[in-house]
Amino acid sequence: MRILIAEDDDETAEFVRRGLVELGHNVVLASNGADALHLLLVDQFDIAIVDRMLPRLDGLTALQRVRAGKVETPVLLLTALGRIQDRVDGLEAGADDYLVKPFAFSELAARVNALARRKPLQPQPTSLEHGGIVLDLLRRQVSRDSKPVILQPREFRILEELMREAGKVVTRTMLLERVWNYHFDPQTNIVDTHISRLRAKLNEGGKADAIETVRGAGYRMADDA
Amino acid sequence: MRSWRHSAAYRIAFAYFGAYAAGLALLGAVIFAVMHVSLGRQLDSVVLDESQTLADEYRSGGNRELGEAIAERESSGSATRMLYAVFAPDGRRLYGSFPAARPPQAGMQEIRFNDPREGPDLARGTALDLSPTERLVVAVDSDWIERVEQTVLIVFGTAFFGACLLGLAGAVILGGYLKRRLRSISRSAEAIIGGDIRRRMPVGHRRDEFDELAETLNRMLDRIEGLLENLRQVSSDIAHDLRTPLSRLRTRLEKGNLEGPGTGDGVLEDAIRRVDEVLSLFAAILRIAEVEAGETRGFFAPVDLSALVTELAESFAPSFEDEDRVLLWSVEAGIELEGDRELLAQAFINLLENTQRHTPAGSVVRLTLVSAGDRACVQVVDNGPGVPKGDLGRILKRFARLESARNTDGYGLGLSLVSAVAKLHGGHLILRDAEPGLSATIELPRKSKTAHRSLQSKDKEAAE
Repeated sequence: MRILIAEDDDETAEFVRRGLVELGHNVVLASNGADALHLLLVDQFDIAIVDRMLPRLDGLTALQRVRAGKVETPVLLLTALGRIQDRVDGLEAGADDYLVKPFAFSELAARVNALARRKPLQPQPTSLEHGGIVLDLLRRQVSRDSKPVILQPREFRILEELMREAGKVVTRTMLLERVWNYHFDPQTNIVDTHISRLRAKLNEGGKADAIETVRGAGYRMADDA
Repeated sequence: MRSWRHSAAYRIAFAYFGAYAAGLALLGAVIFAVMHVSLGRQLDSVVLDESQTLADEYRSGGNRELGEAIAERESSGSATRMLYAVFAPDGRRLYGSFPAARPPQAGMQEIRFNDPREGPDLARGTALDLSPTERLVVAVDSDWIERVEQTVLIVFGTAFFGACLLGLAGAVILGGYLKRRLRSISRSAEAIIGGDIRRRMPVGHRRDEFDELAETLNRMLDRIEGLLENLRQVSSDIAHDLRTPLSRLRTRLEKGNLEGPGTGDGVLEDAIRRVDEVLSLFAAILRIAEVEAGETRGFFAPVDLSALVTELAESFAPSFEDEDRVLLWSVEAGIELEGDRELLAQAFINLLENTQRHTPAGSVVRLTLVSAGDRACVQVVDNGPGVPKGDLGRILKRFARLESARNTDGYGLGLSLVSAVAKLHGGHLILRDAEPGLSATIELPRKSKTAHRSLQSKDKEAAE
């Protein structure tokens, strides 16, 4: 993917750039808001990672102008500000996702992947399948190897999120946002508890582990499940 | 000069003095005018009476009686020197010595005459026709009135001047007094600005407005000093609480460095975990500050409290179960209120987490949501060791941790956030001894929607 990073802190920019290049992406750097705005308006990017506070033109204003120019490139806003107001402002300016500094690179990578797959006119599937696990979104039923698995509503939602990302990492924070709608870190183990219950139900009868824990990052559906 | 013009105290005192002097002058002018008119009238009536008396003499005794009467009056020389004359139609003076320039017309008038001692002069007089050939003129020299009026003016002027001097002195004294009282307050304020934070405004024993003001200011200063003290305490607590995880981190990193490459993985992971701990401590401090500042009130929206609490209970029950505790919940349906869903969730989570952190395995925790009148109560009760009664108030404070909890995780910020969130929503957090265990209740007002909307529209109006 072609990714624009608009970040004035050289160290952060380089850290993110190297990580994304290692994942096979093509990265362009901009160190101020005016350059970022120019690049977004004249060039094509799959995703833009924009710092909220940039010299010459702040990230929020640049983002608003990009959106005013009818450029729909998915934007992940980075910020050192963690207040509720800041997140609301960012989303109102047209950001698709929001990440508070400092962040783990795995968190950023997972969100970049999730944004890349967010295609606006994709038809909503009625069922998801991964390695013998079938999730029927209409009947809210799950089966593994054709045997029904009974899940609690929240366990179902977690599995749905993992299967939508189809083998990509979903972080704890993303699950908290999407399943519980919490945009704060509750400092609890509720995600882990639910994952372990979900895992136990899916793996019942000595089957291979369906959910893989990625250390320091999150969870993903196991490939060989 | 500048200090005079720019002093409200002197301005007030002099404005008061000016009004006082102007009032006094106006009073004098009115008295003088009334006196002038009434003296004139009195003189007129004396002249008329006299002319009537003489006319009566003429009617009863004729020319001879009249002439005698006039001669007698002129020779007596009374204080109010009356002037008499009887003129023939050709202007010849028949009786009397009034040296009128020419015979006056009939009726009341000012008559010009030639005073033998003072030269040309004016007199106030009346002319009356006794017969076709005799015109009686009775007059009084206006000098008399002028003299009286002059005396009055001198007396009044002296009195006015004296009163003004007194008033001016009063204004200077009053202005100086006001200024002195204000300056003593301002001097104390300057001293406080200069760093003497414990300095207070002087309060007199008279209990007047200045003393009242000084007392109010002193109470304000007490509050500010308390807040500063709190801030100082919190900053030093933060610094202290950060030292522990940071020094642990340093030890780990140093150990990893000594052990050389190859052992780095576990060390780095541990280091990141510890840094995250510090960062989340910062996030919690900032979040409490944000909530206490009330900035998030703009995001209030209807929250289905019943659904939120049920969802939390269902989310947490497995984690309680895994740690050998029991979470029981009872939720009254249909309780809604205006609020910030995420902050409320965070507050409830903190209460649940506290029970997980501070109760032994096997404990039972009860989570209830009930409505009581116009309030919604979310209660978390455990049957753990509880909190000593004396410490119930203290543990709400930032960084407050009980001795018994020294070796558990956490920084003592959980309950301060809960309390801040409750206050943000117009409610409060109540901690009680559940004998045994701790009972934490968040009471939240359930404002009727219409009331809230009108409040919002008022805010909007104020914003516009």
